[in-house]
Amino acid sequence: DDEVHVRQKVAEVDPLEVADFDRELRALMQESLDSRKLELRSRPTINMMIPMNVFEGPTKEHHHGRGIDGESGDETIDEGSGGTKEIRVKVLVKRGNKQQTKQMYIPHDCSLVQSTKQKEAAELEE
Amino acid sequence: EDTGGDDEVFEYGKGDFTEHACRYCGVSNPACVVRCNVPSCRKWFCNSRGNTSGSHIVNHLVRAKHKEVCLHKDSPLGETILECYNCGCRNVFLLGFISATTESVVVLLCREPCLSVNALKDMNWDLSQWCPLIDDRCFLQWLLKVPSEQEQLRARQISAQQINKIEELWKTNPDATLEDLEKPGVDDEPQPVVLKYEDAYQYQNVFAPLIKLEADYDKMMKESQSKDNITIRWDIGLNKKRVAYFVFPKEDNELRLVPGDELRLRYSGDAAHPSWHSVGHVIKLTAQEEVALELRASQGVPVDVTHGFSVDFVWKSTSFDRMQGAMKTFAVDETSVSGYIYHHLLGHEVEMQMVRNTLPRRFGAPGLPELNASQVFAVKSVLQKPISLIQGPPGTGKTVTSAAIVYHMAKQGQGQVLVCAPSNVAVDQLAEKISATGLKVVRLCAKSREAVSSPVEHLTLHYQVRHLDTSEKSELYKLQQLKDEQGELSSSDEKKYKALKRDTEREISQSADVICCTCVGAGDPRLSNFRFRQVLIDESTQATEPECLIPLVLGAKQIVLVGDHCQLGPVIMCKKAARAGLAQSLFERLVLLGVKPIRLQVQYRMHPALSEFPSNSFYEGTLQNGVTINERQSPGIDFPWPVPNRPMLFYVQMGQEEISASGTSYLNRTEAANVEKIVTTFLKSGVVPSQIGVITPYEGQRAYIVNYMSRNGSLRQQLYKEIEVASVDSFQGREKDYIILSCVRSNEHQGIGFLNDPRRLNVALTRARYGIVILGNPKVLSKQPLWNGLLTHYKEHECLVEGPLNNLKQSMVQFQKPKKIYN
Ligand SMILES: [Zn+2]
Ligand SMILES: [Zn+2]
Ligand SMILES: [Zn+2]
Repeated sequence: DDEVHVRQKVAEVDPLEVADFDRELRALMQESLDSRKLELRSRPTINMMIPMNVFEGPTKEHHHGRGIDGESGDETIDEGSGGTKEIRVKVLVKRGNKQQTKQMYIPHDCSLVQSTKQKEAAELEE
Repeated sequence: EDTGGDDEVFEYGKGDFTEHACRYCGVSNPACVVRCNVPSCRKWFCNSRGNTSGSHIVNHLVRAKHKEVCLHKDSPLGETILECYNCGCRNVFLLGFISATTESVVVLLCREPCLSVNALKDMNWDLSQWCPLIDDRCFLQWLLKVPSEQEQLRARQISAQQINKIEELWKTNPDATLEDLEKPGVDDEPQPVVLKYEDAYQYQNVFAPLIKLEADYDKMMKESQSKDNITIRWDIGLNKKRVAYFVFPKEDNELRLVPGDELRLRYSGDAAHPSWHSVGHVIKLTAQEEVALELRASQGVPVDVTHGFSVDFVWKSTSFDRMQGAMKTFAVDETSVSGYIYHHLLGHEVEMQMVRNTLPRRFGAPGLPELNASQVFAVKSVLQKPISLIQGPPGTGKTVTSAAIVYHMAKQGQGQVLVCAPSNVAVDQLAEKISATGLKVVRLCAKSREAVSSPVEHLTLHYQVRHLDTSEKSELYKLQQLKDEQGELSSSDEKKYKALKRDTEREISQSADVICCTCVGAGDPRLSNFRFRQVLIDESTQATEPECLIPLVLGAKQIVLVGDHCQLGPVIMCKKAARAGLAQSLFERLVLLGVKPIRLQVQYRMHPALSEFPSNSFYEGTLQNGVTINERQSPGIDFPWPVPNRPMLFYVQMGQEEISASGTSYLNRTEAANVEKIVTTFLKSGVVPSQIGVITPYEGQRAYIVNYMSRNGSLRQQLYKEIEVASVDSFQGREKDYIILSCVRSNEHQGIGFLNDPRRLNVALTRARYGIVILGNPKVLSKQPLWNGLLTHYKEHECLVEGPLNNLKQSMVQFQKPKKIYN
């Protein structure tokens, strides 16, 4: 294996550049929000049903570890990511009108999964 | 120089350069990059921050005001445009993830309006934990990985200013590259080389324009070398091909025709012959300056005509293309060299690494002479280090040492060892020595040189292909026979022949322990799928950096550069490129960076009296003699050396220098006449022509001496013709028993030109084994400090003489005070 220790000079980030960049980033965010508020006065229709097969318990995935559409999610599994615990999630995306899920691992401490876990914990206690 | 075949068009490193590499830094890990989805842009960027506050993709989106991205097909989510699951909005600045309240299912949802739609709250979604896609100026790292520290270190170190500049440039030229930012104007001096480089891209930015300059100059020079009124002597080679013999007069030191060069022969036609031209390769250069050109096509050759031909040089860009390709590979392909070597070559501070290998019990190798202490030390320490420099002063056995190193490397079982040198001569010598250890060696020659005879023919790939299976059963052999007999094959047979040959070439190359080729030859397409962890480059101080890089970027983890930075460096013809530092070898830069070369210390070439001055002047007095005075005495040779047992003399010359007929070189008639007298004296005393070498820094003088000796020599003409008369530069790496050095310059008001370079003087003084005669004007030469030292040395030892050869007397000529002379 090719391990190399380079004595690196600490990259100095120019504070003026940071300030300038942040200004532009905020402007872009704001502009994006504003444009949507103006454009979409009418509320969009909601089409957020989670396909039932996603809920077809974990057992199925245990067997072959595949997403519902048969595409492999195996390569996403990042076993070697040190001590930080990771949680497996299914990311639901649309391809045209077709729904697909892919497995991903997200950090344990991500706010996204905090509430789910709390709920699970609560359920376990019952 | 070596160039590849004509029948293959090879795009260097094609396939290595990924389209999806981050346009800022070059990182190309699919899990780390996304494509900007704006149709006019479609550029890829990674999620590392590098030297900026935001990640590269976020930098791009902000600076270009682009808002959509698409993931890579090999990323965990596959080729996916990031969009709101509900409304399809693709503005990444609005997107974030939410998760289902009951299951570990997440979706992307836009902040406005979908997140604020009340209806969603009633469904299974937890809207309270909306998690923005871009957080802290970076994409969510679990979605788009941040490249590892190693990946980032190997990437281009782009600054915020550069990002702003290139984004500005993309607005008018979407295909612009970072290199375009640094491109010098047409009349600008090129950026000079430096000691340390931020990254391989900066390295490329410096060297690529220099190589371009040199290539342009080389092309211009060579293509202007057309010669008319050439007289041909026709012949047929063993392979049934037409060979044209002719004299191709060269004017100056600048263009040296070498075997393998391509020339076009033309005949404008006459009443009986149509106009005709054909291209061929130089297969031989005779001592009489005759060129042997093997023509590619043998049909329609006007063999009954002998006069009135024209010859042009056919310039090939192959060697320069390969250097450019190697630099590109070095930058974009992180497997090209190990991380340690990558950072070390760029001058980054790297923690010392040792190679973990069990050392052999003895460091010599079978078939080679016993090694001396400094050679053993060199072999031992090289085997333990990823990067080593070996300095081999003249005659110190660097070829044997190199061969021993290669032997032990090959025995370590880390795959094939690649052995290179800039010149074919050096590669042949090394191949021969390595083969003597019993290792299986393949000497890969450029296709254009296959007809050029080689002392190690049996090791060459083309020879081995021809002789692998010569039984009647071998189809390749049958086709080869047919081709040799007929000259050509039918197109289907030719196809079959080529395929069989390629397979056989691969089979033989793969079974070798060691592959030997020139540095440029390492870029041969036939090696493109080979990987070499261990690479040794001999004569590396005579190669430019990009030339050295060609063999290194094939996967090097352990490299050995052998050379001597106290002798002449690479020949750079373009002054602009030379001024900018292209003539500095990688070996020299590594020395400047603090890599200490291991010096071989015992010389086996020169009579101890001859090694004394070079040792003191160029090697801090460390050169020891491995030969004794007795071993360098030549009984029966009666030459008027002023001091017996000191076979050296400086023969004071006061003749005038002249400008040669070509107007660009110098000659000195008196010196030439005296060279002939000395040669005659040697010959009369029993020395044979092959023992004598006449060297001079000037082409004008070289040509004049050859001419003068054959016309005025008092012995048989043939004897003089057999004596090699050459430039100092072309004698580097070689030796003769007796050397006669004609200095030529004799003008008190001008500099001494070529002689001013100490490294050239070192080379000139260290070619002789038994004796040296120097002819020159002490009044002129003594102005230069080093020459002053040499003259003083000769004077102190009573070897500075004048008068007729049969009555030499100590010279009382006064030296000038030395001062620095700039030419
Ligand atoms: Zn873009
Ligand atoms: Zn990047
Ligand atoms: Zn939406």
